[in-house]
Amino acid sequence: MTESGARKRRPPFWSSERPWIWLLPIIVLLFVYSVYPFIFNVVISFHRFDPMTKAFRWNFPNNWIDLLTNADFLKSFRTTFIFGGAALLTELVLGIAIALAFDRNQVKLRSLWQSLFILPMVVPPVISGLMFRFLQNADYGIVSNILYALNVIDRTEPLIGGTGRNVLLGLLIVDVWQWTPFVALIVLAGLKAMPHEPIEAAIVDGANRWQLFWEIKLPLLRNVLAVVILFRIVDLLRLFDYVAIMTSGGPGGNSETISHFAYRMHKSIEWGMVSVVGIVVLILAIIITNAYMRLFKVKF
Amino acid sequence: MAVTPLAATEVARADAARAARAMRARHRREVIVQTTVAAIIALIFFSPIVYWFLVSVKPLPYTMTWPPVIFSEPIFDWYQVVILGMDPTIGAKTGVIYSGAAGDYYVIPSLVNSVVIGVLSTIISISLATPSAYALSRFQFRIRNNLITWILSTRMMPPVVAMFPLFWLYTQADQRLFSAIFGKGTSVLYDSLLGVLLVHVVVNLPLSTLLLKSFFDDIPTDLDEAAMVDGCTRWQAFTKVIWHYALPGMAAAAILAFITSWNEFLLTLTVTRTQFRTVPVFGSTFDVSAAGTEWGALAAVSTTAMVPVFIFVLIVQRNLVRGLTMGAIKG
Repeated sequence: MTESGARKRRPPFWSSERPWIWLLPIIVLLFVYSVYPFIFNVVISFHRFDPMTKAFRWNFPNNWIDLLTNADFLKSFRTTFIFGGAALLTELVLGIAIALAFDRNQVKLRSLWQSLFILPMVVPPVISGLMFRFLQNADYGIVSNILYALNVIDRTEPLIGGTGRNVLLGLLIVDVWQWTPFVALIVLAGLKAMPHEPIEAAIVDGANRWQLFWEIKLPLLRNVLAVVILFRIVDLLRLFDYVAIMTSGGPGGNSETISHFAYRMHKSIEWGMVSVVGIVVLILAIIITNAYMRLFKVKF
Repeated sequence: MAVTPLAATEVARADAARAARAMRARHRREVIVQTTVAAIIALIFFSPIVYWFLVSVKPLPYTMTWPPVIFSEPIFDWYQVVILGMDPTIGAKTGVIYSGAAGDYYVIPSLVNSVVIGVLSTIISISLATPSAYALSRFQFRIRNNLITWILSTRMMPPVVAMFPLFWLYTQADQRLFSAIFGKGTSVLYDSLLGVLLVHVVVNLPLSTLLLKSFFDDIPTDLDEAAMVDGCTRWQAFTKVIWHYALPGMAAAAILAFITSWNEFLLTLTVTRTQFRTVPVFGSTFDVSAAGTEWGALAAVSTTAMVPVFIFVLIVQRNLVRGLTMGAIKG
């Protein structure tokens, strides 16, 4: 009798039958990392830090107007999206092609090639930045010299330096080098997990390799690609490390991303401005990822 | 060729042998072509790392030429500078030019920081994430899906959003609160182990939690119920039975957390000044645009920072895919 009575009662608040105790630590910590920054940013975005008195002064709506009319910010905004689009597209095409090449069934020493291939992915981005700063040196960099030989660029406009016309190409090369393995590795996992029946049926029906890819494999990869693209979008939106190490946003602000703009504002104590950028970026990220996840039904 | 062995004529047998030979030849050609393609791709992506490593064992004059001197007699002076922190003048005979002060390129302290922070933050975030992931997988409550969305959105959030708020929180808490408690000038959060650790843990938590949730989702709930029928509370069912089944997931999450911590840059840069700099922050202190860049020293620093992670990744490669996608794809 007591047992059935106990079952009917709601377990007490601290019981391990209730989810709160389990989730408390992560909720507290993520509060510090996301809710507090958001509220703080909103408040500070209405203020301007005065370095003389070391105090925040009410400055609404000037910060917002300043930022939304700031030529550097608008440029960094455009750069982030142009660069992101180009990088995403290149990495996707290359990644799928490479995954297909690794997935053929007569490749000898596959695990060796695959291991060497994925290593760029775990190089700290700061280190890749240093490395490619050397490889893209205008005089003796091997990447620069290969591109000179192929007539993609010429010595008056090197990858890094000059008027900065080719600087995004320079950053693109690093990003593609580092993250194509990520795309390929995950697409490869998708190809491995693919059911055999539709592929075999298509081969029996006389489909060639091209048709097999476009009509069978690509549609089956849909969910895998949705996840890969989501992760790339998130990372490209926050692009900072290569820019900070290789170009500091230059020459002429041609390679400045939103994150680097915010960091530069932070360094020059324009803290009201940093908060405005923070809110803009946060809203942007939430809208883009939510819309994307709804559209492609990505589930975690 | 519809030829049964019994009725085979000489001609048919020769045909069959020719066909078999042709097939073997085609097979061999396929092997060669496919293997070559895979090898070329792998080498294109791997060669920059090798090229950069070679810079670390060359005297400086050989690195700044075109056409490049790819192989030369190896020297290890750069490693003495970055690993032993030795006085760079020792390289005079081998042509090493070095303009910096001794200790500028001494990487060991930041390497130790990176390892300590990486290991500790991995342990902390996994031990906090595992119970949370279990709860998200097992309990049905009203705001469960909102909670998952919130956790996910902190992973999607660019770190610049938290950059200034955390910097302000750290410096103000040190100046106002901790200075009052522990005496003037103490820094508990800004430029301290605790502060960096906290940043790395919060960056890793959403990732680890959602990844682990996907592993708990795969463990049948019958196991929990069986344990609870045997008299365990929910907590005991978790600590005595269920978490053992999630060990592969914890391994995958730990790998990912360690790599993320090893690579984290922007936030660590913001909350440190001179102490507790990790390798990426240390690497960012060099001016690579100046003419007198010591590429050899930088290459040696990079190699020293890359090799531990490479070994680590080659050992744990199998768990990588699921980790990288936070459980959205089961590799």
